[in-house]
Amino acid sequence: MNTRRISAIVGKELRELRSNPSVVLPVAILVTLCLTVPFLTLVVIPEVTGDSLAADRTLRQIVERAAETSPRLSALSVETAVEAFMYQQFLLLFLVAPVVGAVSLAAYSVVGEKQGRTLEPLLATPLTTAELLVAKVVAAFVPSMVIEVAGLFLYFGLVALLASPGVPAVLVNARSLVLVCVVGPLGALAALQTTIAVSSRVNDPRSAQQIAVLVVVPLFVLTIGQIAGAFVLTVPVLLLIAAALAIAWMLLILLSMALFERETILTRWK
Amino acid sequence: MLTASHLTRRFGSRVAVDDVTFEVRAGEVFGLLGPNGAGKTTTLRMLGGLIPPSDGEIRIGNVAVARRTAEPLRSKIGFLTETPGLWDHLTVEENLSVYARLFGLSNVGGAVADSLKRFDLWARRNDRAALLSKGMKQKLALARALLHDPEIVLLDEPTANLDPETARGVRDMLFELRRRGRAVVVSTHNLDEIERLADRIALVSTRLIAIGEPAVLRRQIFGRRFRIRLLAIAAAPVLASVAERAGAREVRIEADGLSMVVDVPERVPGIVRALVEHGADIREAFDDQPPLEDVYLKLLATLA
Repeated sequence: MNTRRISAIVGKELRELRSNPSVVLPVAILVTLCLTVPFLTLVVIPEVTGDSLAADRTLRQIVERAAETSPRLSALSVETAVEAFMYQQFLLLFLVAPVVGAVSLAAYSVVGEKQGRTLEPLLATPLTTAELLVAKVVAAFVPSMVIEVAGLFLYFGLVALLASPGVPAVLVNARSLVLVCVVGPLGALAALQTTIAVSSRVNDPRSAQQIAVLVVVPLFVLTIGQIAGAFVLTVPVLLLIAAALAIAWMLLILLSMALFERETILTRWK
Repeated sequence: MLTASHLTRRFGSRVAVDDVTFEVRAGEVFGLLGPNGAGKTTTLRMLGGLIPPSDGEIRIGNVAVARRTAEPLRSKIGFLTETPGLWDHLTVEENLSVYARLFGLSNVGGAVADSLKRFDLWARRNDRAALLSKGMKQKLALARALLHDPEIVLLDEPTANLDPETARGVRDMLFELRRRGRAVVVSTHNLDEIERLADRIALVSTRLIAIGEPAVLRRQIFGRRFRIRLLAIAAAPVLASVAERAGAREVRIEADGLSMVVDVPERVPGIVRALVEHGADIREAFDDQPPLEDVYLKLLATLA
């Protein structure tokens, strides 16, 4: 793979994004929601209603179960532990948000080139199929990650500002780091690679988006299962998931290369 | 420099290109002519290594174009596609600089600036491609195809959408490419243009119908036709017989004189002399060049 050619396509995609910034709007809206919902739930609503989240018995039971594997959580009072647990769970939203947003970017990526008739001159250059596909993934990944990182900084900042003392310390741990820095990006890459594969096979960006958006289903299952207390994602489990995602990404690169038929794209696209 | 041997391309049961063989030399402009659906674009795509032939072989120099070699060979080829295919959201300069990087040029800025100036796009370099007229877009696409100074240039309808002045500029640029020893293949419907441009032409309609220099093809189809314009047409029937006796054949009486086939050019002075001796007032005598269109239509008619 020629990194210069990949960076040329990534640069091109980012420049197109710069001149049409509205396409990153879905990611920005989702990240804004990820920032708004936790504080609305954990700060504003209890303040307005005067009810504490710890009053909910089911939630308390879930937190007690989670505290069994987390010494930091168990060291907190019940109310603070519930709050810290909830902030932890809301962190999972940051896994889903960039993927959903980036998928909408990536879905258009190849089919957009087909529609604009820009793919044929591109395929007449020494650019290989693998380079093109990886570049498309990276180009969708970078802006969504930038927005996600900015969102996370804001999230941690707001937690430090608005949450009870002791909560930030629970939040900043190995599990959160693995989740945010490893599982999140790898999940996004695998989802994007799937989307690009879909995008190269369909003739309409809407079809690509509709099919590709299904890739977030496993992430939703993971998030909801975690919040509902169905399972606890420990660091070793997260590392296993990360390894599986890395392998899946590699396999998806190969799959998308096999699905990307230069010939069909050139000769059957009208 | 570029050799296509027995090129065949099938799409399912449909045969788009059938057993086409030709060679394009360095410093030659080669025209591909044919009706819509004749397989011209498919042939160009095979030559450019974009799609493989079903049968046959393409060689660039001594290297056969195959899946393994197509990628490096593409850096030797400049391909102007049927539609400009520009990134509308990018500026004129950005459109070129991406391709300069893809082709691995060492001085991207310099190559892009030179190209912008050469194609008279410098003043528009910061405009988005979407804002360009059709002709300007075509110029930019051409600039992009030639940015890396390729040895082989494949052009699909290069002067489509261009005004006469710009089209002439493109033709001049192709002459320059020929002078610099590049092998140029031009696919077009524009017969006047190809006649002015091409050293040799190939007429294709799925199969190769004819190949050669335009003048040679014209002679093959219509013979060497010679035309005489007369001041007075009244004696034309008599003069037609005189011309036939002097060695012309297929003598036709036209509105302003005679038209005839003279197989041996050396007989022309004798024919003219005989006509003058029989009282012909000759205003003009010249080789009659039927338009390439006539050659084209006649060749296609032989197919039908």
